[in-house]
Amino acid sequence: MTFFRYIARRVLFTIPILLGITLVSFLIANAVPADPINVNLPQSQLNNPEIVAAFRAEWGLDKTPVEQYLTYLGNLAQGNLGRSIKTRQPVAEDIARFLPATIELATNATALGIILGVGLGVASAVWRNQWIDFAARTLAVIGVSVPVFVLALIFLSVFHAQLGIAAGPGRLDFTMDEPAMLTGLFTIDSLAAGRLDIFANAVAHLVLPSLVLALYVAGLISRVTRSSMLEVLGMDYMRTARAKGVRESLVVMRHGLSNALIPILTVIGLSYGNLLAGAVLTESIFAWPGIGRYMFRASTSQDFPAIMGVSLLIALIYVVVNLVVDLLYYFVDPRIRAN
Amino acid sequence: MKSGRLLLLIMIITVLVTGVVAAQDETVLVIGHAESTDSLDPARGYTQTKDIIDHVTYENLVTFPQADASEILPMLATDWTISEDGLTYTFNLRGDAVFSDGSPVTADDVAFSVNRLKYVQGSPSFLAADIASVTADDADTVSFTLTQINPAFLANLANTAFGVVNADVVRENGGSDAEDAATADTAEAYLNGTSAGSGPYLLESWEPQVETVLVRNPNFYGDAPYFDRIIITNIPEAATQKVALESGEIDLALDLTSDQIAPLEGNPAISIYRGPGNIVHFLLMNEDPDIGGPVSDPLVQRAIRLALDYEGYQALWGGVQPGSITFVGNAYAFTPEQGVKRNLDEARALLAQAGYADGFDITLEYPIFTFQGVNMETNAQKIQADLAEVGINVTLSPAELQVALENYRTGAEGFGYWFWGPDILDAIDMLAFLPGGKVADERALWTPDRADAALNDLVARARVATDPAEREEVFTALQASMQENSPFAPFIQPDVQTAFRSDIEGYVWHPQWLLDVALLSRSM
Repeated sequence: MTFFRYIARRVLFTIPILLGITLVSFLIANAVPADPINVNLPQSQLNNPEIVAAFRAEWGLDKTPVEQYLTYLGNLAQGNLGRSIKTRQPVAEDIARFLPATIELATNATALGIILGVGLGVASAVWRNQWIDFAARTLAVIGVSVPVFVLALIFLSVFHAQLGIAAGPGRLDFTMDEPAMLTGLFTIDSLAAGRLDIFANAVAHLVLPSLVLALYVAGLISRVTRSSMLEVLGMDYMRTARAKGVRESLVVMRHGLSNALIPILTVIGLSYGNLLAGAVLTESIFAWPGIGRYMFRASTSQDFPAIMGVSLLIALIYVVVNLVVDLLYYFVDPRIRAN
Repeated sequence: MKSGRLLLLIMIITVLVTGVVAAQDETVLVIGHAESTDSLDPARGYTQTKDIIDHVTYENLVTFPQADASEILPMLATDWTISEDGLTYTFNLRGDAVFSDGSPVTADDVAFSVNRLKYVQGSPSFLAADIASVTADDADTVSFTLTQINPAFLANLANTAFGVVNADVVRENGGSDAEDAATADTAEAYLNGTSAGSGPYLLESWEPQVETVLVRNPNFYGDAPYFDRIIITNIPEAATQKVALESGEIDLALDLTSDQIAPLEGNPAISIYRGPGNIVHFLLMNEDPDIGGPVSDPLVQRAIRLALDYEGYQALWGGVQPGSITFVGNAYAFTPEQGVKRNLDEARALLAQAGYADGFDITLEYPIFTFQGVNMETNAQKIQADLAEVGINVTLSPAELQVALENYRTGAEGFGYWFWGPDILDAIDMLAFLPGGKVADERALWTPDRADAALNDLVARARVATDPAEREEVFTALQASMQENSPFAPFIQPDVQTAFRSDIEGYVWHPQWLLDVALLSRSM
């Protein structure tokens, strides 16, 4: 029962967090010393006070900031995120349209990053100061330090344009039709529609952008895995396990890795949240219609409803990911369960 | 288990390959473009993306030639008359034009489209602001009454904002042309999903920020375009467009910068279009002696025009020598052949006559800026070298764009280097550079009281002349006069560049709609 009480308490805590986020993003958006009118109306209309007034009234810009904020909260309570100034669509609909592309990319990249990162991290801890350790650490430094847009462009021009062994920008070949909308994740929707050709194409297009993001994630994970593993490998119980004659692979994976998992999970959670919040540069370079690109456009055009909606979404993503990570601690570490 | 996976892989590959083969049955063109529009509704969108799409999904009463804005050509209208007072335009429709649903294009549709544009208060509605009324006189005749004379009215009508929509269909889907259309009209969502025009293409789908698909209009009454299907895919990064073009994934990359195009040169799979754009680079010489010093003297101004090495700038940037301050390709614009010819002896003689036989020192102000691949610093250095040949010793004074703009806009610049892109695709655009116009009055301080009466009369006539013969006469006289006496020295109209796959034919750049996809085809 304590487990469910724990979850309930955590969910309750998210409400003030989200409220705080709305307030902060509202304040920041309003503090920008520029009038959204200037970004969203052409010069010819700016000269016409009637049109300007109508625009202000339409978007509630003629009210005081306090009124604007309270109206926003009122709408939010009814599940209404407002309408985007730029796309003129409900923000919730926009998010529903752009988020699946990001989820698909972030999930793939994170999965790939975990496999690469944990594998390299464990290997470098076990074979500490040997060539595999140096190779893994070099790769990790490259992964975290090379800017993603550089990596993305290099990958695109080498593997796609020159060698022709990887698919190019976009979620599908430009001439290919999208699968019927179900989840918005093309890999799942295409299988549901029984279209293996679309599935294969979607997977092919996921490879390069996932790899670019995965290298960064793997860099982070492998460094944390290495140091966490090194700490655990020196513990007395490891020596005891070996003394009892447990197989080395079992010693490393079961006694070592599972005890080293907590910091690794934390990093995975943070970086997954980070990717879900939109990888603006990677999404732009790979022509990936995700939430990062949507947010970028919203912020450059001072599209308040969209900025607020996406900020809220990102906060929510972090809250949920953190909650999931905390729950995983609960399963991974018996000490947390005991408390 | 392993063989099962292998089987699945083989299946996937087979389906993939057959899928690709099947897709090649229809002719498809893929364009990479950084999409910029918020609406495809002719009355609401006002962006380059919207122009490209609406130009082929809708038709206007009148249009421009394929490659420039040199004249007004009939489109849905066969001919038109302009009343004596210049306030009433009457158009006869061609009568055989049909919309994509097969129904005829009538004068009612024109009136509906124009009133809707005027009243929805969309971004391009200002183009219809001077229309007092538009009425369908009969099924094939429509007349406009203007609130004031506007010689650029026909040029405005060629804008995609005036694309004629199928009134019945748009009304059925929430359209309104009433005075309260700003709130009453709800047809935008419909027009963002499909088009209701008479152009060679039909909008099949628009997924904002992802892609736009056009298919051939089955009921198009003119010659069918080559491609069955046009996919305009949103690739915001120009670098990605370049990669996709090199790999053949897209046929045409619309947003490459000139330094991205340069390395494509020599790639046999890629062709590069180069043709003069509509930007004119010019020198400004302040008419106020306190500000301009020696360059406020009309003799010196003329000497500077004669001293510039026009061919040299073309060697740098391609393009043409502008015949006058307005771009070659605009209505009534001078051709490059009619432009000023370099003549150093005459320039030196004029300087001597003005009292500067030994030349003089002057500072040239310009922004640190590269526009459409043209680096202003390079041009400034060449200007310095050109003028040194006639004894004018130029000191270069580059400044950050915002700083330089401030000086330029407030008329504080004595001798400056700038460029100009037309606000209106009509000869009337050049009036900005004549007394009473924005650039002349505010930036060169060439105000009507500094100009002679004959020139002021010509300008006054240019503002109201609507008869083509009279316009030609007036604008020819104005351009000739500016070559002799004016504080501006236009010197280069650089090329614009576009890269596409070598099997694509028919690409032409246009100053209004950028690209007419209906002209494109693929060689076998």
